[in-house]
Amino acid sequence: MKLHKNSKKQTEKKSFLKKWGGLILWILLLGFLALYPYTKVSGIQLFSATQVFMLVTLASNWNLIGGMTGYIDFGHTVFFGVGAYMMGILVTQAPLAFAPRLSFWQALPIAGLVALLLAVSLGWVTLRLKGSYFSIAMLGTFAATREIVRILRPLTGGGAGLDLPPVLNRLGEYYFMLAVMAIVVSSIWWIRRSDFGLSLLAIREDEIGAEMRGINTTLHKLVALAIAAFFTGITGAFWAWQNTYIDPDVVFLESRTVEMVMTSMLGGLGTVWGPPLGAVVLYSIQNIVWSNLLNYHLLALGILLIFLVLFMPEGILGKLGDRSSISAIRLIQRWQKRR
Amino acid sequence: MKNPLLEGRQISKSFQGLAAVKQVNLTVFTGEMMGLIGPNGSGKTTLFDCLCCLQPVDRGKIFFKGRNVTQARPNQLARMGLARTFQRIRIYRQMTVLENMLISRQWRGETLLDIFKSSHRQTKIRAKELLEFLLLSHLDREYAGNLSGGQQRLLEIGMALMPDPEIILLDEATSGINPTLINTIKERILILNQQQGKTFLIIEHNINFISDLCSRVCVLHQGEKLAEGTPDEIKTNKAVIEAYFGR
Ligand SMILES: Nc1ncnc2c1ncn2[C@@H]1O[C@H](COP(=O)(O)OP(=O)(O)O)[C@@H](O)[C@H]1O
Ligand SMILES: [Mg+2]
Repeated sequence: MKLHKNSKKQTEKKSFLKKWGGLILWILLLGFLALYPYTKVSGIQLFSATQVFMLVTLASNWNLIGGMTGYIDFGHTVFFGVGAYMMGILVTQAPLAFAPRLSFWQALPIAGLVALLLAVSLGWVTLRLKGSYFSIAMLGTFAATREIVRILRPLTGGGAGLDLPPVLNRLGEYYFMLAVMAIVVSSIWWIRRSDFGLSLLAIREDEIGAEMRGINTTLHKLVALAIAAFFTGITGAFWAWQNTYIDPDVVFLESRTVEMVMTSMLGGLGTVWGPPLGAVVLYSIQNIVWSNLLNYHLLALGILLIFLVLFMPEGILGKLGDRSSISAIRLIQRWQKRR
Repeated sequence: MKNPLLEGRQISKSFQGLAAVKQVNLTVFTGEMMGLIGPNGSGKTTLFDCLCCLQPVDRGKIFFKGRNVTQARPNQLARMGLARTFQRIRIYRQMTVLENMLISRQWRGETLLDIFKSSHRQTKIRAKELLEFLLLSHLDREYAGNLSGGQQRLLEIGMALMPDPEIILLDEATSGINPTLINTIKERILILNQQQGKTFLIIEHNINFISDLCSRVCVLHQGEKLAEGTPDEIKTNKAVIEAYFGR
């Protein structure tokens, strides 16, 4: 007999913790992080925490389209780069003769929106294709955009890059990224519980079935990608501001996408709490590796990736039985099958 | 009142040179139950796929409720009131029975903002009523993958019924199911047809099932339409007998 007949009370109790446990922990954690700067912390510690928030945000966004919808985006950094360059251009250049230079807060939403528009126009074409074509088209877009940025020298500074106004405000940066991360992860938590999220998972698990049940799959995928691109663009814009310098090579970095994928995979593809968990673990590992084996940084990441695929393809939360997770291997199989 | 509801005109479809469906005409009228039979590989499932736009046709036209839907997306047809089940069951095995029903929910967003709306409590109530109708209500929290084959077929029928469609296409809904459950399915289909006026197009191997339910039957053989008529006419049709039993 396969079916276990739990008494109703038991199931409901379990589902209460499953439903709200993550959110309660998350709110407690956010509360602690909001107070963290008031403990005795150094600027470097604040900076490190900001980097982790950024990784959480980027990975969560990647996970929305890659993990939950099942469309593996190998070029997601393009949205980060477009956001960064929009920030760089708008605050240092005056691209339109009549328009003045903008401030950070003015440039920020524009950076997000431009990334979103790029996502919608790209997705319009590529999301109709089989999953593997989408992945490769995104990788191509990423590489092509980097070259375009290099060529558009008058606007982007070309290979020499752009210098942004130097501002050092570690505390402000900390709270900004904390807020963005809080918005992104909470939104994804909400999406996962909404009908929209259920439809995304349905698309991932069986796109033809979803389509036949009346789900407008193209529109759903497009919206997921657009949301992911918007917040990735915002994060890129912030990064440009924080780093005070951008050029094509530091912005359009392949390893940024690798980090998003690895973080999601480590925590659990398709889960809400996987990317935050994965980011903390990955950042800690990277910190140890950075300080001890500086030259072998990428090698260590590669080894970790192989380890994950071989021994823990479902990630930490997948191992713990989170139902929205999908193992990396199954994701790749779906990637091939999808029409 | 012979109102064509779903109509395929001169449908042809081939896969890498192999013709799976050849110039088939098929009309299903509002309120009727029509059977589609034929030996294995005769193109029944392919014809279904074409009719609901999952496979683009090579040649021919499809009309649903008087509109030419040949170029439509399957989700558009679904929202117009066409639902189907699959020969190879397509349910969400890692999700609960209730979640499966909700995926196939009643209203369906067409616009951007609609897709963020949550289903009403009404939808959940409807899902539970349908599960009860299909004798699955005690399993609503169970993972769909844990259900028996027959229960999975019932769940798929439930998912098809969720959006309150006008026509339901069943692809071998009784294969691999025990006789008691087959009778349940038969009973439920009759109720849906007679009390709610739902139209059915049914692919079946089980001839008795077809002749008990359907007033008209279409026979496919090697992708071509061999015969069409009442079950009794079909049973005595020479070409049909030959196709099934000859050589
Ligand atoms: N996706 C496909 N690719 C190639 N050949 C197919 C495909 N689907 C069906 N066929 C072929 O088309 C013919 C009709 O198949 P099908 O429609 O499944 O028949 P039935 O449902 O009547 O058993 C078979 O010869 C089958 O091998
Ligand atoms: Mg078939």
